[in-house]
Amino acid sequence: MEAATTHVERHFDLRSSLEMLRALVRRAANELLRVPGAAIPGVLAPTIFFLGLTAVFGSLTLLPGFTTDKYQSFIIPVSLMQGAGFTGAATGVNLARDIELGWFDRLIASPAPRPVLLAGMVLSASLRALIPATVLLTVGFALGVAWPGLPGLLLAIFLVMAMGTTAACWGVMLALRFRSQSAAPLMQAGMFVLILFTTAYAPQELLQPWLGDIASANPVTHVVEAARQGFTTGGLSWAETWPGLVAIIGLLALFGALALRGMRRISY
Amino acid sequence: MRAVDGVDIEVAPGEIYAFLGPNGAGKTTTVRVLTTLLRPTGGSARVAGHDVVAEAAEVRRSIGVALQEAALDPLMTGRELIRLQATLHGLPRRTGVERGEALLRRVGLEQAADRRVGTYSGGMRRRLDLASALVHEPEVLFLDEPTTGLDPVSRKDIWEEVSALNAEGTTVFLTTQYLEEADRLANRVGIIDAGRIVAEGTPASLKAEVGRPHLELGLADGRAEDAERVLAGLGRPLPPKEGKVLVEVAGGASDVAKVVRALDEAGIVVESLDLMEPTLDDVFVAKTGYHIEGDEEETGEHEVAAET
Amino acid sequence: MNARVVAALGGRSVRQTFRRPQLMAPIIVFPTLLLAIQTGGAGRAVDLPGFPQVDGFLDFMLAGAMIQATLLAGNSGGIALAVDIEMGFTDRLLAAPISRFALVLGRLAGTAALGAVAALWFIALGLVFGASIHEGVPGAIAIVILVSLTAVAFGGIGSAIALRTGSASIVQGLFPLVFVILFLSSAFFPANLMLDPAATVAEYNPLSFITEGVRELVISTLTAEAFWKAAASLCGIGLLSLGLSNLALRRRLRTGG
Repeated sequence: MEAATTHVERHFDLRSSLEMLRALVRRAANELLRVPGAAIPGVLAPTIFFLGLTAVFGSLTLLPGFTTDKYQSFIIPVSLMQGAGFTGAATGVNLARDIELGWFDRLIASPAPRPVLLAGMVLSASLRALIPATVLLTVGFALGVAWPGLPGLLLAIFLVMAMGTTAACWGVMLALRFRSQSAAPLMQAGMFVLILFTTAYAPQELLQPWLGDIASANPVTHVVEAARQGFTTGGLSWAETWPGLVAIIGLLALFGALALRGMRRISY
Repeated sequence: MRAVDGVDIEVAPGEIYAFLGPNGAGKTTTVRVLTTLLRPTGGSARVAGHDVVAEAAEVRRSIGVALQEAALDPLMTGRELIRLQATLHGLPRRTGVERGEALLRRVGLEQAADRRVGTYSGGMRRRLDLASALVHEPEVLFLDEPTTGLDPVSRKDIWEEVSALNAEGTTVFLTTQYLEEADRLANRVGIIDAGRIVAEGTPASLKAEVGRPHLELGLADGRAEDAERVLAGLGRPLPPKEGKVLVEVAGGASDVAKVVRALDEAGIVVESLDLMEPTLDDVFVAKTGYHIEGDEEETGEHEVAAET
Repeated sequence: MNARVVAALGGRSVRQTFRRPQLMAPIIVFPTLLLAIQTGGAGRAVDLPGFPQVDGFLDFMLAGAMIQATLLAGNSGGIALAVDIEMGFTDRLLAAPISRFALVLGRLAGTAALGAVAALWFIALGLVFGASIHEGVPGAIAIVILVSLTAVAFGGIGSAIALRTGSASIVQGLFPLVFVILFLSSAFFPANLMLDPAATVAEYNPLSFITEGVRELVISTLTAEAFWKAAASLCGIGLLSLGLSNLALRRRLRTGG
């Protein structure tokens, strides 16, 4: 059989791609503004957990082996990552809903290249992850969390944005796979496991052996530790930082590739 | 704001009564009051001999309800829903199961009975809703827009089912925005607009109020006067329109044969013949000044293909 | 007849929850994950001075996991009730010759059953991972009953909100509040070892009393004092939540829904 007679020209047009990107990010922002009530739990949840965990487990710092005497400084990077994780999972849930409603069909029928569509969806998550992060940091500092120093703060923020994007890729991948909002618990649980099966609640030495093994193998442990150093030690060291950067970039590449493959399978 | 103001109706046992009107006319509100889902702010209503407010429980025992936006749970199977409905009406378990199975067969859903309602088509959902409304053999059946959004085949199925139920003795109160539905099914029609009844009666009597059927005949050249002479005995002549001869025929379709024979005997060739009958929409327009179904442009009569 | 109706509606609630992952996950999946992380991460807390006498940290934490699951079951039930209202399923129930309150009781019967499922799940989980119920089988039965009653008591609040607002997204948005109540109690940690001001709230929180009741059945013997505190808390919250549900139901029926 002869090759198709219609040949669609596809070439990478930077300007139009950026414009599409901007439009998609703007739509995601509009959604947030349209139903602010729905966003509030997601924005406040990480802070609520931060406060709760500090109040409940704060005494753990009395145990020998804790690097700080303020549990809030120890746990805030975890809450920051959780906020990014929730935000990313929410991107997946929203996409699943859009797929169910049929809006997504309109999106993929447009000439926007698939990578641009994906980027639009997940980059907005990286920006939105800053909202719970801001609330969290404000409350945290008011509650005595140690100032991480400017480099420490910038690193933490970068990791939050990267985590948000990674989580969004995970959510998008599942949404495309299951095409239903019933996949939402899987999106949330996945991030939950990734972020909390780490040195989240206590330093490596104090974890129960089974959790300690998992934490050593979990790349997100490095991300948490990298984000944590500023808050617990006041400064950054390259030795603590580079594993976290490698880990998050690696995860982002992995989930991003899976999400892109999911998109390509739905439409060419 | 009054949704319904001045609705005064009486439905006889064993009849099919249709509430016809555009969206927002107050049909659903009236049904909700009659099915004890909405408390009336004034006036009173009795269904199956009981007052809807004071004797609500007795009313609920006597009625079957299939409302717009069929109240079905997408996660339940058809069988589960019918059995639940039977339990809600206090039917003993075995009776409920037997009746449920019989009804599922009756509405053609026995194959799909164990599938979740979420997988059903619109027509299947309505049939399930109808079946569940019948599980306790109610005296009165309330149907709120039973065929809205359905394809023509499904619509016919529902109509057949409703007629059959009525033949078995069930009183049916239905609301609709479709002329054909009211015309075809109802013994009596109440035309409602903006919360008030604007006309009430049998479909035939309502239509007769606004006009009689007439024939529009396109004849071969030059025989118009001859035709008018021939037709004078058969019906009232009307002013010609666009070169066609018009004659009112009181008997409607049954007079068409007489007209055709008469013209044939006179040797007049008929090139086209159309029977125009008034519709319930014409009744509505006469009373309110606008159409029930908003997309009509003409003010009046619709063509009905003549059967010769 | 009404008991049959309540049971049928309860059965439907349970089936609904098992058929929709978003409703089931908060009852089993998330509390289990949290339990794992907390025992794995904070397990050394047993070494802290003032920590109650336990065979293992898991024994201590089981009660909190059950109570968390049960509260979330109440939230799930509220969401499901709101969905019923939104899609008009409640019309089907209201047009039927059943008591109006059966709407609420049916939903709560389902939530109670789910509470029992959660309790059994965590008892089994605990046994598999080395915990033990001090009071044995009677203790386990008592735990299941206590947790089921908690589900009803707190489920009533979810139902009340669902009836009052008719919106599933509002009920869903309240799930962080569930965690606020849990954090301000001794569900996850002994109140005397928490940080103030949360510690003070936790000491007087009725949810703490209920959790302690379940906890004592696991780690030691149920004292009379703990029993009465738990029972009184359950009754108090139960009456309050059922009363609120009733008011919300009447209001909805009055204003037409």
